[in-house]
Amino acid sequence: MAADPVTTDLIKTQLPHRFPFLLVDRVLEREPGVRVVAEKLLTYGEPYFQGHFADRPLLPGVLMLEMLAQAGGFLEAEPLAGQSIFLAQVVDARFKGPAFPGDRLRLEVKPEASFAGLLRITGTVACEDRILCTAKLVLKRLG
Amino acid sequence: MSDLKTEVKTMLIERLKLEGMTVDQIDDTAPLFGEGLGLDSIDALELVLGIEQKFGVKIEDEAAGLKAFKNVDSLTAFIAEHRAA
Repeated sequence: MAADPVTTDLIKTQLPHRFPFLLVDRVLEREPGVRVVAEKLLTYGEPYFQGHFADRPLLPGVLMLEMLAQAGGFLEAEPLAGQSIFLAQVVDARFKGPAFPGDRLRLEVKPEASFAGLLRITGTVACEDRILCTAKLVLKRLG
Repeated sequence: MSDLKTEVKTMLIERLKLEGMTVDQIDDTAPLFGEGLGLDSIDALELVLGIEQKFGVKIEDEAAGLKAFKNVDSLTAFIAEHRAA
């Protein structure tokens, strides 16, 4: 288990995101610059389930990318407080399965390269050993 | 044109998906970023990865990287200098 786990209170120190767009509930493992494992617990209360879709709530795929990007914020050793982190590029994304209310999503991200304020990461969203999404993203940090 | 320079230009075309461009169309001294080839900062990160994978040269020093990315000549010289080391 993890060096340097992040408590719930510290998540808001690390990320500038807030309800309804803070999409990381817990950080289970954190080795800055190496690997982060985080969790998002989906409930019927998520605002996007009202319309996506009314009869069959289903997590929009783009939000899985956003979850991975937010988890990527914890790869940085220093808190992002006062700064923002943005998606700069979706290099590749594959959506392999759906996510529903009640799912506990495991978000795992690793850095691939960084240069001039840009960080390229690989990420996987999984639920109970089912891989739902794999992606390569580029994140940009702005002060 | 040196073999290495041709390899660098081929890598630029393949890695950055410079559709329709040929090795001969890339000027050795034209700026890679902004004017010239018109690359952006996301391309720079892609280049860092491409150079590491194709030539085994890691660019960890940002200032050195930006200097090397000035044009094809400077990039070729940078790779030649660091490849064998």
